[in-house]
Amino acid sequence: MSANVLNAMVALVVFRASSFYLGVVVVGLCGGLEFAQIRRREWQKVAFNSSLDCITCIVAALVFWGIAGNSGTPVAVLIGAAALAGVADLLVNSSVLSLPISITSGQSYRSTVFQVTKFHVSAYPYVFLGLGVGLTYLGLGLFIIPMIIVPVVIARQAFASYLELKAAQENTIETLIRALEAKDKYTAGHAQRVATFSAYIAEEFAFGPSRSERLRYAALMHDIGKLVVPNQLLNKPGRLTEAEFGRVRLHETVSVELLRRIDFLAPVAGDTTTEAATAAVDGSVLVEPAIIHVADAFDAMTSTRSYRKALSQETAFEELRKGSGTQFNSACVDALIGAILRRGEAYGAGHEVDDHEWAVAPPEAGTGSAGLGHLVPEEQGAKP
Amino acid sequence: MKRWVRLLILLAGGGAVALGAELSDPGTPWAALALIGGAIAAGELIELRPPLRAAIPISFAYEVVLARRTDVSDAALVLLVALLASLLLRAEPIALERRLLLFLERLAAGLAAVLVFHGMFDALTSLSSRVQVLLALLAAAVAPLIVAEIARMLRERTLAITRHGRSADLALVTSAMLMAVSDQGVNGKGAMGLWGPVVFTIPLLAAWYSYEHLDEIRRTYSQTIRALGAAPELGGMVRDGHAERVAALTVAMAHELGFSRSEMEHLETAALLHHLGQVCIDEPEDGRPPDGAAIAHSGAEILRSTELLAPAGDIIAAEALPYRDDARARPGVMSGQILKIASAFDELSEGRNDRGEAALEALYSAPAYLYDEHVLGALEIVLDRRGVLSPT
Repeated sequence: MSANVLNAMVALVVFRASSFYLGVVVVGLCGGLEFAQIRRREWQKVAFNSSLDCITCIVAALVFWGIAGNSGTPVAVLIGAAALAGVADLLVNSSVLSLPISITSGQSYRSTVFQVTKFHVSAYPYVFLGLGVGLTYLGLGLFIIPMIIVPVVIARQAFASYLELKAAQENTIETLIRALEAKDKYTAGHAQRVATFSAYIAEEFAFGPSRSERLRYAALMHDIGKLVVPNQLLNKPGRLTEAEFGRVRLHETVSVELLRRIDFLAPVAGDTTTEAATAAVDGSVLVEPAIIHVADAFDAMTSTRSYRKALSQETAFEELRKGSGTQFNSACVDALIGAILRRGEAYGAGHEVDDHEWAVAPPEAGTGSAGLGHLVPEEQGAKP
Repeated sequence: MKRWVRLLILLAGGGAVALGAELSDPGTPWAALALIGGAIAAGELIELRPPLRAAIPISFAYEVVLARRTDVSDAALVLLVALLASLLLRAEPIALERRLLLFLERLAAGLAAVLVFHGMFDALTSLSSRVQVLLALLAAAVAPLIVAEIARMLRERTLAITRHGRSADLALVTSAMLMAVSDQGVNGKGAMGLWGPVVFTIPLLAAWYSYEHLDEIRRTYSQTIRALGAAPELGGMVRDGHAERVAALTVAMAHELGFSRSEMEHLETAALLHHLGQVCIDEPEDGRPPDGAAIAHSGAEILRSTELLAPAGDIIAAEALPYRDDARARPGVMSGQILKIASAFDELSEGRNDRGEAALEALYSAPAYLYDEHVLGALEIVLDRRGVLSPT
């Protein structure tokens, strides 16, 4: 939308002296043309977008020319007029565009308008840039074109490079998680599910986008230290010896150490078992380790592992509540249980997505590495 | 103090001085100059940081606006006050000496913009006013960048000119020209006053925002790779610091062999992650160390599934290949040889400089088909330069 708003504003300024509506219409029609849609011969979309841009341009022209007049207007008034014309453009665009989106997606029209407006509002500063380009064009002529294109293109290129590298970062982490899950077939999808449950809790706590993103990365990588645990130990059915258990537990320290080496994740790479359990949600102590701890424990309980089968969701909730305030952060426990119930989702025994095949079937309950050592009496959990 | 607070203080300071000037002498040009001064001071704290290029402050753009607005002496005074204000409020550099040097550098850059503009403007009177203004503004916008480049060369004691990240310079130059043109207009048309520089700060801020995000994700990505490279060490599978030492050695050897920057980046990544495969294969039950070829194969497979890491995966796979005479004709194999030799050297020397000479000798004494002599020669040069080898 940014380029369209900019072009529209330039047209409004340049054609202002003569109130040349046809010029504005042409700019609007051209603004809606998208090369990809033309190449795919999606003529309905092309016609819809062009018509919409044309309508928004005319509405913006009515507002801008209505306030600014034809000439001799102080710049401050022009800026005010541009601001209102931009708002009109945004509202018309969002309300019309939301109609087909709402119909095809089945979402309510009101929430669609809200989302579309929120998406387009980032282009709003381009209204003022368009005003500046238009006014400068009047003094400088076509010299303005390369001068404005260069910084805009450079900013876009840098942002494209950022997005590309961000995707590469995501791919790298996904690849490593795949490698990790290849080591331990029982944890397939575990990292992703912990990230999802952590996101549920973050949503309850109204985390902002950047904090949520940091939490997602930390949740995805919370078990990355398992890379250093030998495959044989991760997949060993039944009970581990004390030495083997020590080696498995090493992954927690290594995970924290690895996360601490990444500045972005270092603040949330805390101890997940002690102070995290009582961390405040008010921001005085970062609560992210506690969130991941609760999400991790819930997924561990509701998934089948080499040492035991999945527990039911009710049992998992009960265990979380039992450890609430001591082993687990109580606000995180309440947030996760509330979020899952509100969504009507079900996890655990009877709801697992993946089928499991065992050479030696795991017991119904048992000890494990997700802080569940206390879960069942040893004599029940130690069946090989 | 957070950056936005410092920015606000500098902008508000400029605004307060402008208000005072306007109240005491309505219509005085000093009100506008004070606002520009505030923008210069604040612009010092907002730097474009493209990859592989020293940061450049957006204050350079406002200095061009200042140059066009007023004469040399008034501009110099505004510059001095604005840069002193930013000197007091900037967070970095912390050392006083470096802070003062930076102040002098920025003052020289600002004065260069002012002097060049007026010099060029006076010299180009024979041209049309539009061309005259544009050329003078272009020269004024480039001048501080040249001063900053000379200062960097002096600081780093080098004659090498920056080649990377020059798009930021272009963004700054064009934005500066747009700001100055929109401020005063040309031939009495298109003048927006100080609203012009405000409006044309938008693309510059967009560029700054993009570069900031790019810088952050580059750092995160690099730290992620380095952290993962350290995983086998944290698991006790290899000696501490092995990955980092091998990475530094491979980059130095590749530089010696004339590799491109992108080849060196892939090689560095491969060196950092060349033991990653070890964490994915089963430990031999008889206690023997795992097979090197299996480690390389496993590591390469992991990296090849990610587009950006695939070249590093190829290098790791090539590390396990036997040496061939045509290695130099195949960059992947050549990189693999560098990695193989650097890794073997680090293992033989146990990461200790005093064992470097013996380790190099051992590599030279290995069967001829194992290591490329050309690459061993590069290693020898690098070690010699580091003072690892005793003088002969």
